[in-house]
Amino acid sequence: MMPAMAKLQFCVLFLVYVASQCGGANVDVVSSAITVKNVDRTIDISSQLVKINSKITFENTGKSPVKSFLLAVESSSKSKLAFIGGKDSNNKDLRLVETTVKGYDNAKFWRVDLKESINAGSTASAVVETVYSKALQPYPTAITQQEEQLVKYIGNLYFYSPYPVTSQKTNVILNTKTVENFTKVKPFSQLDGTIAYGPYTNTAAFTEKELLVHYKNNSPFLTVTRLERLIEVSHWGNIAVEETIEIEHTGAKLKGPFSRYDYQQDHHSGPASVRSYKTLLPASASDVYYRDTNGNISTSNMKVKKDSVELDLRPRYPLFGGWRSHYTLGYNVPSYEYLYYSGNEYLLKMRAVDHVFDDMQIDELVTKVILPEGTTNIKVNFPFSVTKLPDSLHYTYLDTKGRPVITFSKNNIVENHIQDFQLRYTFPRILMLQEPLLVVGFLFALFLCVIIYMRLDFSIHKSEHPHKD
Amino acid sequence: MTVETQSKARLSQLTSDKQLTFIKLAVLSMAAILSFATRLFSVLRFESVIHEFDPYFNYRTTRYLTEEGFYNFHNWFDDRAWYPLGRIIGGTIYPGLMVTSATLYNIMQFLNITIDIRNVCVFLAPFFSSLTTIVTYLLTKELKDEGAGLVAAAMIAIVPGYISRSVAGSYDNEGIAIFCMLLTYYFWIKAVNTGTILWGTLTALAYFYMVSSWGGYVFLINLIPLHVLALMMLGRFSARVYVAYSTLYCVGTILSMQISFVGFQPVQSSEHMLALGTFGLCQLYAFTQYLRYHLSPANFELLFKALLTTLLATLGTAIVVLTVTGKISPWTGRFYSLLDPSYAKNNIPIIASVSEHQPTSWSSFYFDLQVLVFLFPAGLYFCFAKLTDANIFIILYGVLSIYFAGVMVRLMLVLAPVMCIVSGVAASSLLSLHVKDIEPKVEKHDKKKKHENNLVFRSEVGALFVCVLGCLLVSYVFHCTWVTSEAYSSPSIVLSARAHDGARIIFDDFREAYTWLKMNTPDNSKVMSWWDYGYQITAMANRTVLVDNNTWNNTHISRVGQAMASSEERAYEIMRELDVDYVLVIFGGLVGYSSDDINKFLWMVRIGGSTDRGAHIKEADYYTGSGEFRVDAHGSPTLLNCLMYKMSYYKFGLVYTEGGRPPGYDRVRGAEIGNKDFNLDVLEEAYTTEHWLVRIYKVKPLPNRGL
Repeated sequence: MMPAMAKLQFCVLFLVYVASQCGGANVDVVSSAITVKNVDRTIDISSQLVKINSKITFENTGKSPVKSFLLAVESSSKSKLAFIGGKDSNNKDLRLVETTVKGYDNAKFWRVDLKESINAGSTASAVVETVYSKALQPYPTAITQQEEQLVKYIGNLYFYSPYPVTSQKTNVILNTKTVENFTKVKPFSQLDGTIAYGPYTNTAAFTEKELLVHYKNNSPFLTVTRLERLIEVSHWGNIAVEETIEIEHTGAKLKGPFSRYDYQQDHHSGPASVRSYKTLLPASASDVYYRDTNGNISTSNMKVKKDSVELDLRPRYPLFGGWRSHYTLGYNVPSYEYLYYSGNEYLLKMRAVDHVFDDMQIDELVTKVILPEGTTNIKVNFPFSVTKLPDSLHYTYLDTKGRPVITFSKNNIVENHIQDFQLRYTFPRILMLQEPLLVVGFLFALFLCVIIYMRLDFSIHKSEHPHKD
Repeated sequence: MTVETQSKARLSQLTSDKQLTFIKLAVLSMAAILSFATRLFSVLRFESVIHEFDPYFNYRTTRYLTEEGFYNFHNWFDDRAWYPLGRIIGGTIYPGLMVTSATLYNIMQFLNITIDIRNVCVFLAPFFSSLTTIVTYLLTKELKDEGAGLVAAAMIAIVPGYISRSVAGSYDNEGIAIFCMLLTYYFWIKAVNTGTILWGTLTALAYFYMVSSWGGYVFLINLIPLHVLALMMLGRFSARVYVAYSTLYCVGTILSMQISFVGFQPVQSSEHMLALGTFGLCQLYAFTQYLRYHLSPANFELLFKALLTTLLATLGTAIVVLTVTGKISPWTGRFYSLLDPSYAKNNIPIIASVSEHQPTSWSSFYFDLQVLVFLFPAGLYFCFAKLTDANIFIILYGVLSIYFAGVMVRLMLVLAPVMCIVSGVAASSLLSLHVKDIEPKVEKHDKKKKHENNLVFRSEVGALFVCVLGCLLVSYVFHCTWVTSEAYSSPSIVLSARAHDGARIIFDDFREAYTWLKMNTPDNSKVMSWWDYGYQITAMANRTVLVDNNTWNNTHISRVGQAMASSEERAYEIMRELDVDYVLVIFGGLVGYSSDDINKFLWMVRIGGSTDRGAHIKEADYYTGSGEFRVDAHGSPTLLNCLMYKMSYYKFGLVYTEGGRPPGYDRVRGAEIGNKDFNLDVLEEAYTTEHWLVRIYKVKPLPNRGL
C-alpha cells in the first residue's frame, strides 16, 4: 500500500509527464485509473526455462474508459526475457508495443491496446505469458558425475506491476520434492513439487521482493549457442532445409573424471547429463540427414508420426555440464505446402525457426533464405523483431547471376518463437527454362564441336590411308 | 578377334570401321565406368568418408591448400604435429595429390558446381582409376594391339591389387601415382618408338607429375635407365632411344628438382645414380658410334680403349670421393629393405612395425591378382616371341616389380598394372588364336595356312579353349568383386559387425572420441598417443599431437614409447617434460577389436628401448619367464604395471564381457586380466567411448604444495 503522499507525488509527476511528452511515440504514462484486482501467477521452473503465466484482472477505478494498460518487467530480469505475449479473455492474441515510462528507465514496459475499452468501474482480464532463459543458476556450479544438479531461481515474490495490486497468488512448479531452500513469506504452502504463495493483499505498484528457490533440477540444460537455418527454395517442387547447430550443456559443469563404467552400469548415473533429445520436423520432411564435420552420426532414430517426423537424436557422446557438440541436420519438404503463387507472384510461408528440443533456448539464430535465380521484388514480413543482415548472392549448380539470399538474425529464442515468416517475391516463370536450356545448349555445342572435328581434316598433309590404324 | 574384325572392316569400308570404333569406345568407356563404380562399395555401405590414417593427413593438407592458397601451403609450418618440434609440411610432402584435388575443386567452384572438398578427396582415387584404365589401354595398344589393350583395360579396372589402394575414400598418393606412372610409361614407349623430342618432353612432364605425387617415382627412374641399358646390351640402341632418354633425363631431372621434398636428390642420392650413369653412358655410346663412323677401325679401337680406361677410372674415384665426403647420400633404410628383405627387421624397428612393409605371402599374390598370376608367364612368352623395344620394357617392368612386390606388400600396387598389361596381351593373343579356329574358314583358304588344317577337332579344341579362358575370366570378375567388397572396402574409421540376429552394429567410437576431443578440450591441448593415430587426431580433432604417421623423428617416437612402457611415476616425468595434457589409447578388449594398443605394445617397447634415453626399457622384461606376452595373472609384473596396461584396463576389471567368464575378461587376448584393482595417480579418465575402443585420459596437474 502506497502512502498517500507518494500517491500524490505520482499524480503530479504524471501530469508533468503528460504535459511534456504530449504526442511522443512510445512513451507512456502509468494511468492512475487502473488497479489490478487480482493476479494468479504460475511460475514454472521445472525445465531449464522460467515460464511465468499470469492471469490478471484489471479494474478501471477512474471516471473515463481506459483503452490500454501497461505491462512491466523488472530491471533485474529484463535481460533474460526471451518472450512476452498476452491473450485476452476470449483467448485472442493481444498486441504488445514496447514503450518506456519516464522515471522507470531501468524497467521494461509494454503497452497493450485493447479492442474494447474498459468502462469506468468495470473489469477486464488478460493472460500474460513471459519466458525467461538462463534465469536458473546451477548452484553448486560444478558437480561430479553421480551428483544431482541443483539450481537456484531468484525472482520476484510479487507480480511486478505498474499498478497497485489488490490480491495476488503465486504457484511455483518445481516437479521435485527435493528443495534445499526457499523464501518463506507467509502465507505459503509446499505440496508435491509445488510451492504456493499468497494470497497477498494490497501490494503497491512496482513492489519487488526476492523470491529464492534452491532445488533439484535434472531436466536437460541444453543451450543452442548458435543455429544457422538455411532454407533453399526450388521451384521444381522442393524446399531444402539445413540447420547447423552448436549446442552446449549449460548446467552445472562436470567436475572430475568421467567414468564410462559407472555410466554404463547404472542408468541413474549422470542424472544431469543428456543422452539424447527429440527433434520434431514437419510431417512431410524426407531425406533427413544428421552429420557433423567428421561425417555421419550413426546414432539416431526416426519415427514418422501423423503430424510430424520425430527424430531421436543422440549426440556422439553424452553431454555433461560444459560439454559442447556440433551437428548439421537437413531435410527436404515439398514446396506446395509452403509456397503459394498467383501468376508470377509468390508467397513463401515458413517457420523462421523450428523445434530443436522441448523447452529449447537458442542464443543466436541466423536464418538464410535462398531464392531461385531471377527473383525480384523481395518483401519480408517477420512475426517478431529481427536484425536484418545484408542480402547476398549464392552460386550453385547452373547459376549465372546468382541466387538472392535473405538473411536475418535474432538472439534469445525459445519455443514460443516458432512462428511463420512471410516472404513475397516476383519470379517470371519463364526463367525456369533457363537451366535446362543451358544444359541443352552446352551439350549441343559439345556435339557440334565433335562433329566438326570428326568431319574436317586438320592435318597439314593428307595421309594416304586414312582408315588404316 | 580384332584381326578378324579389321579384315571384315576392309570389306565394307566405312560402316564397319565405325562399328569397330564404336565397340572399342563402348568397351573402354564401360571399363572406365566399371573401375569407378566398383570402388564405391564403402561409400554405399557406410558413407562418403576418408579412410584409414594417411588419407586423413592428405585430406587435412588439401583443405589447408584450398583455404589458404598455394604459397601459404608451400610455406606451411605445422605446429599441430610433432610438438614441440613442429613440422614443415610444404617441404616434406609430395604435393601432387593435394594440388590435383585443389585444382579440380577450384575448377568446379568456378563452374558453380558446389561440391564439398571432402567429396572431391573421396572420389579422386576412383576417378583416377578410370583414367588409369584408359592409359592402360593406350599403353597396351602400343605394346601389342587394340584388342590386348581392351582386355588389359578391362582387367585393370577391377584388379584387387590396385583397388586396395584406390577405393573411394582412400585418399592417398598411390591413388594418382599409378595413373602418373602408367602415363609416363605410355609416353616413354611412344618416345622410344618415334624418337621425337615431343614425346620425350611429354614423358618428362608425366614424370614430373609422378615425382610430385609419390616417392615410388624412384622405381620409375631406375626402370627406364634399365630399359635403355638393356636396349644397349641387346644392340637395339638407336637414335630414337638416345633422343628419348636424353630429353627425358634432362627435362625430367630439372623438373623433379622443383619439388622441394626431392630437392637435390636426383643428382646426389645413390638411388638416382643409375639414371645419371645411364645418361652419361648414352652420350658416350652415341659419341663412339659417331667416332666409329668417322675413323678407321684400328684408330677407333685404340682411342676407344684409352678413353674407356680413363673414364672408368675418373668415374670410380669420383663416386668413392663423393660417397666418402657425403655428397652422395647413403641409401635410406626403406631402400635397403627392398634389396634385402630382412634388413629392416634387424635394424629399424619403426619400418618393420608397419604391416604394409612386411614381405608378401604367396597367398596374397593369388588374392590380389587371381588369374593374372597364371596368365602373366603366358604373356611374357608372347612378349618374348615378338621382341620389340617396347616389349623389352614391359618384360623388365614385369620381372622387376614381381621381385619388389615379393619384398614389400604395398608394392603389389606397382605389380598389378603390369600383370594386367601382360595378362591382357596373353589373353588377347590366346583368344584371337583360337577364336579363328572356331569358325570354319572359307575365305582364308587362299592364305598360307594349309598345314594347320591337318589338325583334327580344330574348331572343337578352339571352342573348348575359348570356353575355359572365358570361365577363368568370369571367375576373375567374381573374385575381384568379392575381394573388393569384403577386404578392401572398409573405411577402418567406422567398424561394423553382425549381431546375433544378423543386424548390423556400427562401432563409431573413433569419431566419437575425436569429436569429443575437438569440442571439449582447450584448443591448445597436446594429445599423446601412439603414432598411428596422429594424423587422425590432427585432422578430426584438430589438436596438437606429439608424434604422427610421418615417422621422421625416431627419438621422439621412442620417447612416447618409453612413456607408454614405463611405470606411472616415470611416465609422469616424461609427460610433464613433453607438456602432455591428454593421453589417448585404443583398447579393443571389450568388443574384440584386435589391432589395439596392447597388441601393438611390443613395438612401443622395442622402439622405446631403441634409443639411449630408453635404455632401461628392455623387451625381455615384458615377457613371462617362459617368454610369452600375457596380460593375465601370469604376465610379467613390469607389463602389469606399465602405463599402457593401466590406461587400457582401468576399471575394466569390473566389467563382464562374455557370459560364463569372470569380470575383466579380455576378448582379444582371450584372458582374464591380471591386474584388476588399481587406481590411477597421475591421470584421470576424461572420456571413454561407448564400446571402450578409445580411452582418453587427462594428465593431472602437479599437486599443490602442502597437500
